[in-house]
Amino acid sequence: MTAALEINGLVKAYGEKVAVDRVTLTVPQGSFYGLVGQNGAGKTTTLSMAVGLLRPDAGTARIFGADVWSDPATAKQLVGVLPDGMAMPERLTGREVLTYLGLLRGLKKEVVTERATELLSVLELEGAEKTLVIEYSTGMRKKIGLATALLHAPRLLVLDEPFEAVDPVSAATIKGILRGFVEGGGSIVLSSHVMALVEQLCDHVGVIDKGRVAAAGTLEDVRGAATLEDRFVELVGSGSTAAKGLSWL
Amino acid sequence: MAVVMTLVQMKLAILRHAVKGPQGSTMSSAGVLGVLIAGGTVYLAFLDGDWLPAAYAVWMLGWIIGPVFSGGGDESLRPEFFSAIGLRPYRLAAGLLTAAFIGVAPVVSLLALAGLVVAGTREGVVGVVVAVPAMVLQLAVFVLLSRVAVALLGVALGSRVGAIGAGVINGVILAILGQGWVFAVALGQGGQIPEFVRYLPSGWGLLAVEGNLLALVAMAVLIVLLLGAWAALLTRRTGADRPSTRGRRPMRAATARQAVIAKELRTWTRDLVRTHQMAFALTYGVCFAAAPLALGIPDMLPLAGPIFIAMAASLSANTYGTDGTAHWLTLLTPGASDVRGRQLAWLAAVGPVAVLLTVAFTLVTGGPWPLVLSATPALLGGGAGLVLLVSVYGLVPGIDPRNRGGNPLRTSEDEGSLTGMAYLMLLLVACSAAPAVTVAAMFGWWGVPVGVATGVLCYWGFGLLAERRLTARGAELLQVMRTGRRPGSITGKSSFAMPKMSKPREFIVMVCITLGAIPLIPQGVVAMTMLSDGQLGHTWFLATHMPPALRWPTAIVMVLLGLGMYTTGFLLWRQAKKQAAGARAEAREEPQEAAP
Repeated sequence: MTAALEINGLVKAYGEKVAVDRVTLTVPQGSFYGLVGQNGAGKTTTLSMAVGLLRPDAGTARIFGADVWSDPATAKQLVGVLPDGMAMPERLTGREVLTYLGLLRGLKKEVVTERATELLSVLELEGAEKTLVIEYSTGMRKKIGLATALLHAPRLLVLDEPFEAVDPVSAATIKGILRGFVEGGGSIVLSSHVMALVEQLCDHVGVIDKGRVAAAGTLEDVRGAATLEDRFVELVGSGSTAAKGLSWL
Repeated sequence: MAVVMTLVQMKLAILRHAVKGPQGSTMSSAGVLGVLIAGGTVYLAFLDGDWLPAAYAVWMLGWIIGPVFSGGGDESLRPEFFSAIGLRPYRLAAGLLTAAFIGVAPVVSLLALAGLVVAGTREGVVGVVVAVPAMVLQLAVFVLLSRVAVALLGVALGSRVGAIGAGVINGVILAILGQGWVFAVALGQGGQIPEFVRYLPSGWGLLAVEGNLLALVAMAVLIVLLLGAWAALLTRRTGADRPSTRGRRPMRAATARQAVIAKELRTWTRDLVRTHQMAFALTYGVCFAAAPLALGIPDMLPLAGPIFIAMAASLSANTYGTDGTAHWLTLLTPGASDVRGRQLAWLAAVGPVAVLLTVAFTLVTGGPWPLVLSATPALLGGGAGLVLLVSVYGLVPGIDPRNRGGNPLRTSEDEGSLTGMAYLMLLLVACSAAPAVTVAAMFGWWGVPVGVATGVLCYWGFGLLAERRLTARGAELLQVMRTGRRPGSITGKSSFAMPKMSKPREFIVMVCITLGAIPLIPQGVVAMTMLSDGQLGHTWFLATHMPPALRWPTAIVMVLLGLGMYTTGFLLWRQAKKQAAGARAEAREEPQEAAP
């Protein structure tokens, strides 16, 4: 069976600094894949290259076998993306953003209207019907971003920090939607630095450290007998950070 | 005092980095140009008549209007940075004001104000002694007026009415400056500077030097008032918040292209910066064309529409940059016609108003119909094509709309490049109408099909080029917007920024690019249209004053001169750019060679 996402030897360097160094990962169909790593480890860069938002210096990315760079039309039709910290069409309301994107994706107008209504209601955004996206809170931005990623019924979701700055109630809603997506046969890759969340949601984990894959596989294989957090610190951390204190406190 | 000193030190540190960094060359060339103009101003102090107060009035206007066009002026120290410290507004304003005196523009202005000392020598020792505090107070008036104007505009841009109002006022002022000769003739009656110029705040320093010491007191009072106003405006700015609860019209689009148009048109009407730009372009076009009416000359009226189109194109040239990283959505939907949609939206926003303006004003003057009807479609098509092409090829990375903070005018950190882009766009759009206007001037109505043809061609061709570029280099464009840097460039500057070159050469490039438009457009193209229309003896259009045999040759030489200046400027600039790129490549190769 072709993998939902197959990343092979991706490299990205900015001048002297190698941000992503030959990263290879396979996301099987139907899996819920967590990508963990410290800030600046290269998670966002890897995911951006995997979905065609950033051109890699070397390596390939395939979505259900379709190469993101040589066959973008097929690959991008199959994937829904939630990038971290990118702008939206800021002067549109949430519903207008969804209408705009749905039409851009080539959906029929009636289908777009129906799905937009459902998404806004499930994500509890219909109260903000008249609010422009530029006035949204960070949590609301994440939710409308997730809605745009889900709108065209993709088979793979690539989500960069989907739970950052989202309140617990909304987070529970989002978790429910994502679990349902995987149960329905979809595949998800999400990046996070919250280990408990990844442990709770994901069945596969990839650990990225300094631009390289430190460990990858099923959750059980990666964490072994320990918790994911302990294993992560063991793989990535310098060890003694917890003992350091602040001299003036 | 501690606040003031800290802010001054911060500003000095920023300047130090700026001089070393990529902005250094821009700063030094601006400085050289400023010193030259300041020297010219001081020279005026030696002349009889009211030349000096007139010059200071222009300096004051420059201080007030300059920041509006360069993205809100010097914003290296922003009030938002200090909002968490809990300073009293007045102390913060005083600190920011003191820091505002450090920079190229204040130093250059102080040099220009040295003219007061020259004027003082005529009055004797007292005059010279008074001139020194007068200089300082006068500079404080300039700087404060500038800050208050920017702050007021920031508040104005918080509401639709304010945005339109500010656009109208800026348009009127700039059009009056552009058509200065009209008012010089109308008010001056034979080369005299009108009396009131002496009594503007810009002239108070001179009044003081001439013995009216009350003017010094007046300046001090004005400074205190302005500082108070600025402090009050600063608190409004840092606490700015504006919810919108207006009713929204439902989106009726049914296809991808219609969706892009709907999104763009909504952005045009809802983004107050764009509203402001449109109001400005419209007012500028109308006022520029209508100004000669003050002398009873209606002939320029038909130009209102074309000027509006060119201005609108120039201000919207960075369309992709202004939207910031929202470009990722376009990248994820390959095949959706983003470029064509934006072109159509631009036409829908600019076209109807432009056509209405052109037809109505030409009806008033009763012609010249062939010329106007050739230029309008050529300009509209040219604008719709060039806006997208320039935006994609020369993208100036913008600040994402939600991160613009308290200064909505600031759409990019690289305001120098934005200004360069706006000028380039004006020139390119004007050029796109050149074939149609030339044919119309020579063969009358034949210009109309030519204008329509070049308009359609520009729209189609430039749009296609932009779309291809977007497909091929879309990811790189997104990266530029994300980081503010071009991939592969060390300095991270846009292609419009000045590369390093020797000072004299840089000066030539600056002169060619800033002044090339004068022979090309008014003395060349506009003069030609006047000649073809049989208007002679027209104020400053040289060709119309020439003996019959020399009229057309003069205008043609002017066009060639303008084109020559631009070509020279461009070639020198490109040469320097290539050299700089070569030097960078060498620098990068060296360490590799050193490795075994």
